[in-house]
Order: sequence, then C-alpha cells, then structure tokens
Amino acid sequence: MRLIALTATLATTLLPVLAHADAAEDALEARHGYMKMLALNMGTLSGMAKGEIAYDEAAASKAGSNIEALSGYAVADLFIEGTAMGEVDDSEALPAIWANPDQFAQKFAALSEAAAGAGEAVKGGQENVGPALQKLGGTCKDCHDDFRKK
Amino acid sequence: MSAGPEHARRVRVWDPALRMFHWSLAALVIANILLGKFGPNVMTLHFWLGYAIIALLVFRLVWGFIGPEPARFGSFLRGPSAIVDYGRHLFRRQPSHSHGHNPIGAISALAMLIALGWQAVTGLMSDPEDFVNIGPLADNVGSATAKAAVGWHHAGANLVLILIGLHLAAILFYRVWKNEDLIRPMITGWKWVRGR
Repeated sequence: MRLIALTATLATTLLPVLAHADAAEDALEARHGYMKMLALNMGTLSGMAKGEIAYDEAAASKAGSNIEALSGYAVADLFIEGTAMGEVDDSEALPAIWANPDQFAQKFAALSEAAAGAGEAVKGGQENVGPALQKLGGTCKDCHDDFRKK
Repeated sequence: MSAGPEHARRVRVWDPALRMFHWSLAALVIANILLGKFGPNVMTLHFWLGYAIIALLVFRLVWGFIGPEPARFGSFLRGPSAIVDYGRHLFRRQPSHSHGHNPIGAISALAMLIALGWQAVTGLMSDPEDFVNIGPLADNVGSATAKAAVGWHHAGANLVLILIGLHLAAILFYRVWKNEDLIRPMITGWKWVRGR
C-alpha cells in the first residue's frame, strides 16, 4: 500500500517535469527535422544550380514546392521557452529569438514570401534555378545571422 | 615646402606599389566590412572583394621579401629590445622620423596582415548553411569546421575593426601629440626621416 502511494506521489510530482522535458525535446527534434527537410530540398536546387546534379524539371519543381509547403508551417511555435542554446543540448537557438519574437517571426515570413511560387519559378530550365535559390537562401542567411549560434 | 628639422632629411620611404597596395586595401577592407554587416543577403560582391583582398595580401607578402627596404619584413620587424626602447620614448612630443614603420607600428602592421589573412581563410571555409553564401573551400574542411568558420569570420571582423581603430588613433596621436604627419607620406611617398 505504502509502495503504491509512493509511486503515485512520485508519478504525480514527476510527470509534469518529464512532460516538460519531453516537450522541449520534441520541439528541438522537430525544429532540426524541419531544417533538415529544408536543407535537403535546398540541396537539390543548389546542386542543379551549380551543375553538380543534372537539371530535371520535375525534381526541381518538387523541391521548390516542398520548400514552399514547408515555409507555410508555423515553425515559430516550435521555439518554445527553455529551448535556447545552453538550456538544452544541441540547441543553436540564440536567446534573441525570445527577446525579439516579432523580428524572429518576420524572418520566417520573409522565407514564405521568397518561397511563394518556388515550385513554378524553377521550371523551364537550369538557368531559372539559381535566381530562385538565391532568393530563398538569402532569407536563410538573414535569419541565421541574428538568431542562430555563430 | 617648409624646411624640415635640422637632423632629418626628406626621402622617398613608401614606393608607389606599396602606396597603391595600402589605399586599395583600406578601401576594399572597409567596403567588405560594410557589405558583410549591412550588405545584401546574397553576398556575391563581398566574395569578389574578398578575392581581391587576398590578391593584395599575396602581393604584400611577396613585397615583404623582394620589395624596397622599408617594405621588407626583415627590416621593419624588430626585436624586443628595439620595441621596448621605442616604447620608452613614445610619449616624447617630437616626431619619430622613422624610416618607414616604427618598431611598434610594425607590430600593428603585422597584426593587420595576420587578421586579414585569418579573414581570408575563415571566409573561404565558411558554410552559413544558406546554400548561397558558401565559401569555395567549405567542402574541403568538413561541415562542422565550415559551420564554425562562420563564427570565426564574424569574430575576426571585430578584430579587424579594432585594429583599424588603433591604426587611426595612432595616426591622430602622431599628428596631435608628436607633430608628425603620417598620412601625407603614404600619399606622396616622401617622409622626413632621421638622417642616415
């Protein structure tokens, strides 16, 4: 009986802590996965722009559309409190994110703006990939500059 | 021309190539710092100016061995005793009449070259993970190093800014406190030096 009571007490007191740790870990993992997905599709476009991958209109357009779709995800919500660099392992998120949430949200808005129509923009030939890629990559850089560990 | 001090004579210390190097470097470095901090997110121009700066640094390295006397590392880099000795008399209110770099200025010049060399290397290695501003050597150093190089490049930029500040402060100090104009010799090449 005592054991059950103890277990119950422990469970009720520890559960919120564990749940919280889970939420932070989940958010971090999701963020990293999100960035990885962006990177994979950006990598396809970058390889084609540089001529390292043969231009394939369908593949380019798919990568562009994927980035467009990803940019519509409310990723700023994944940057929950307590997941800055130093607060959890592997995080490269600067505290500036939480200090300037509006500015941070703007950077993602800039990505969705740049990504709008990317799936179409990269169609029609290899020479169209570079300009679309630069538009997208510029917004990556702009946000990394201010909000990611250097 | 005003008459110079009795014991000094006016000689051509800075050769035309070195003066051209100096002012080109100053212009390109300032432009590249501004481009790096406030320029467009697609940093094509920053890259090109960076390559031009590398060419200038290579020239200076070569000139440090085969250039005229005041440009040579072997002649302007001095030992600790010469540096301490110069430092002891630094605050005297009289011109140094140095034949080129003075022993402390030499350290500053060398520090600037090293810092800019650091900027060149870290810049070439940088991968900011944006798929557009990737240094041409990023693929050769491994992704962790390439990513870290971005931070080193930012830190190096601050170091260069500090060195530029020191350089300008020293020129002002020589102008105001020691009554010696260091700017004109870098434009005309002619400088008052201690007779020798």
